[in-house]
Parts: sequence; structure tokens; C-alpha cells
Amino acid sequence: MGEQISRLMDGELEGAEAEAAFRELKQAEGVATWVCYHVIGDALRGAGGPAAGFSERFAARFEAEPTVLAPRPLHGPRLPFVWAAAATVAAVAVVGWVAVSTLDSRPTALAKAREAAAVRVAQARSAPVSPDYLLAHQEYSPTTQIQGVGPYLRAVSAGGADGRP
Amino acid sequence: MDRRVGRDAGIRLARAAVLGLAMLAAAPAAFADDAIEWLTRAAAAARQLNYLGTVIYQHGGYVETSRLIHLNDLGEEFEKLVNLEGPAREVIRSHGEVRCYYPDAKIVRIEPRTFRNAFPSLSPQQQKALAEFYEFRKAETARVAGLDTQAWVFEPKDGMRYGHKFWADPATGLLLKARLIDERNEVVEQFAFTEVAIGANITREMVKPTWALAPPDWRIRQPGQGEVDMKETGWTVARVPPGFFKIVEGVRRLRGTREVAHLVYSDGLVAVSVFVEPVGGAPHPIGLSSQGGINVYIRQLDENLVTVLGEAPAVTIRQIANSVTRR
Repeated sequence: MGEQISRLMDGELEGAEAEAAFRELKQAEGVATWVCYHVIGDALRGAGGPAAGFSERFAARFEAEPTVLAPRPLHGPRLPFVWAAAATVAAVAVVGWVAVSTLDSRPTALAKAREAAAVRVAQARSAPVSPDYLLAHQEYSPTTQIQGVGPYLRAVSAGGADGRP
Repeated sequence: MDRRVGRDAGIRLARAAVLGLAMLAAAPAAFADDAIEWLTRAAAAARQLNYLGTVIYQHGGYVETSRLIHLNDLGEEFEKLVNLEGPAREVIRSHGEVRCYYPDAKIVRIEPRTFRNAFPSLSPQQQKALAEFYEFRKAETARVAGLDTQAWVFEPKDGMRYGHKFWADPATGLLLKARLIDERNEVVEQFAFTEVAIGANITREMVKPTWALAPPDWRIRQPGQGEVDMKETGWTVARVPPGFFKIVEGVRRLRGTREVAHLVYSDGLVAVSVFVEPVGGAPHPIGLSSQGGINVYIRQLDENLVTVLGEAPAVTIRQIANSVTRR
């Protein structure tokens, strides 16, 4: 399940696969995975989590928003793009709502996700990329031709490839 | 969440619009000539000149200082790079190979450097990709390492590659500073001389490794017969991002035993490597990570570990990794 949600986040799912993933997101477990992955993503990108009280403020403002009822087109050709966009917006709205309510009722979910993210970040820093691979790659990069061996620092520096020999 | 989706869609639309305009504008040939001329001059300067200086390497919050010495002795190149901070690392280029010394672990890695994809010998496809997917332009003049330099920019026309900014010494063409820039205009990675002596008097002694070529009690790691055995590997990338073309395919032996398929894709300015290694069914850590300007994505495909890495945005690396398939 996690993999499908991960692929959905990356925009790799379409059609039936996407529908299946949306259905998963209606389950508590699916939402927890979704939230967890986003916290991980944010942590990896170095973006902080939401400010304190975000969920409450969001829920309150969401409650206060007027409901917009858009008329459904009865005729005309099906426009795949529009439909896809509409589906996405709907999914985001559903997920947004479920995520907020889930977060409110289960504050530990975020803490757990943060913990998981910390582990992921730690793993990412010591990513098990073979220095053999990094060195083998360097030779083929056209920019190496104008930068000399400088870019080899990527492979050998203590701050790259975690300094593993 | 909403905001991110909205912004990404906006960026995509903007990219599409820019690409469309660029295609209408045509005349990519002129761009390519300029760009390739500039790259050729920079590559020639890096190869032919004698120079030494201090290089600062930065990515994220990480900064490292190194000493770089380059000698061209009657057409043969010698280069020595020694870091000045942290655990000692030394990179030596001589006699057509690159050696990396790790004295703390008593390991020396030897990588043959036989592949020549140097400017101007880019393939016609790569030249076309350079013109189609980057806008090459002259930027400001700026001081680098105490010298007045001219900056040049390769601006990507889509989200599948980074922007590149290069500062070069106008007199010789030597590159003094290089920067990778992401789509938010943030610096991903930077190499820069803080001081440099171009045309310095450099002797063979100065570019020799600190240690013996292969110290007796050190472990030596090198690929089997030295070179990539060029042949079909049985693997391919189904969805290659636009502008990238396969430049190499072969099998290399790592540490003399493991056979690894190695495919390289390039858009003329950067390269992305695909490694496929049989690992059996045991689960391996997978996912995205980065080493400075290089993004790495590892995934398991049946009994194989697929590792894709290159100086391109994560989205490019992932797309390539996720579409690796048997031919």
C-alpha cells in the first residue's frame, strides 16, 4: 500500500491505479501513510513542519468557508485533463479534510511520522551508494571536462558519499 | 498541500510556455555553436594550462577546502587534489587513470579514465539537446579569486535539468567557479577557486601522490579488466527524459567479481548513470538521497538493485530509475 501512495505523491499513478490509491486514502491507515510520507518529504527537503495550532486554525477557517457548488456539465465531450484535474482537487479536498481530522484526534501520528522522518534522514545521510558507482559515473559527465578532477570531491569528500572509502 | 499542487502546476505551465516560445524562436543552431565553442575553450584551458590554487566545494550547509594542482607536461596531464579538512583524501590523475587515496582506511581506488566524451566531440544528438534544452547566455562580469571573470549561464528550458553558471578567466578561458542551480534558483552545489595561479611553474614532483602508487599494506579497489566491456546489457530505460540520449552501455566488473550493467545518458552538459546489479532477493535500503550536486535513487527490481545517479534534479533521476526495464 505504501508504495502506491508514494507513487501517487510523485504523480506516477493514472486511471484505475490512481482510483485505487484514492480509495486507500479514505482509510485511516492510508491517511497515516500519506501524512507520514509528507512529513518525511518535508524533513528531507529541510522544510519545517506546520506551525503549532495549524490544524485548529485550518479547521476553523475551512468551517467558515462558504460551500461552492459547481454545476456539473451535462453535455459536451469528455476532457480527460479537466477530469483528471477535478479528480485531483476532489482527492486533495477529501484527504485534506480527513488528514486534519485524523491529526486532531491522533496527535501521536505526527510524532511518529517525525520520528520516522528522522530515521529516514539519518539513513539518507549515510545512503548506501557504493563509492565505486560515484567514481565510475564521474568520468562520463561532460562537465568533468571543464572542471578537471574537482567534481571527484563528490565521491571522495567526507561530506559526500558519507566519506566511506 | 493545495498550495504545492497549485504551484507545481503553475511551474509546469510556465515551463511548457517557455519551451513553446523557445521552439518558435528557432535558430537553435546559433546557440549550439556559441555554447559548444565556449565549452570547447573551457575544456581546452582545463586540459592544457598549468595552474594551482585553493578550491572551495560547497553543497547544502557543507563546505570543504582543497588544494588543486594541474600540470600539462608535453601533452600529458597530471592533476592532484588534496582536501585540507577532515579525513585526508587525495585524488591523483595521471597516465590515463584516476586514483583516490583514503589513508585513514588504507584504501586506494583506481578508476581508469579512458572514455573521451570531451567537447567538442559531443555527438550530434548531444549538441542538439544542448541547443534545445538550454539557453546559453553571457551574464555579468564578477571577481573570482581576485581575478575579473566573465559569467556564463546555461538556463534549462524544462524542469528535467539544473541550471549551470560558470565564471571563466577571459584571458585563458579557464573555469574559476561553477554553480548548479535548481528550479527555485537555489544553489545546489558550487566549486570555486579562492586563489589561483594560472601559468604557474609546476613540476612533476608537485603532482605526485603523497603515498606510493599502491602502498603494500593498502587495499586496492579497481574494476576488473579496467574498462567497461561495451555490449548490450539486456537493460534499457523505457521513459528517457527529453533531451537525454544514451552515450554508453556496457558491463563493468566491480572489484573484479560483481558484474554490473552500466548505462549512461547525457543531455550534452550532464550525465546520468544507471547501474543494475544482481543482488539476490535480500532487501536493500532503497530511496532517494544526494551527494552534493548528485542525486541518487536506488530501487529493487526483482533480484536486482537499480542505482541511478547524476547531476540532475531528483525528478529526472526518479523517472529514469522507475522506467528501467529488461529490453
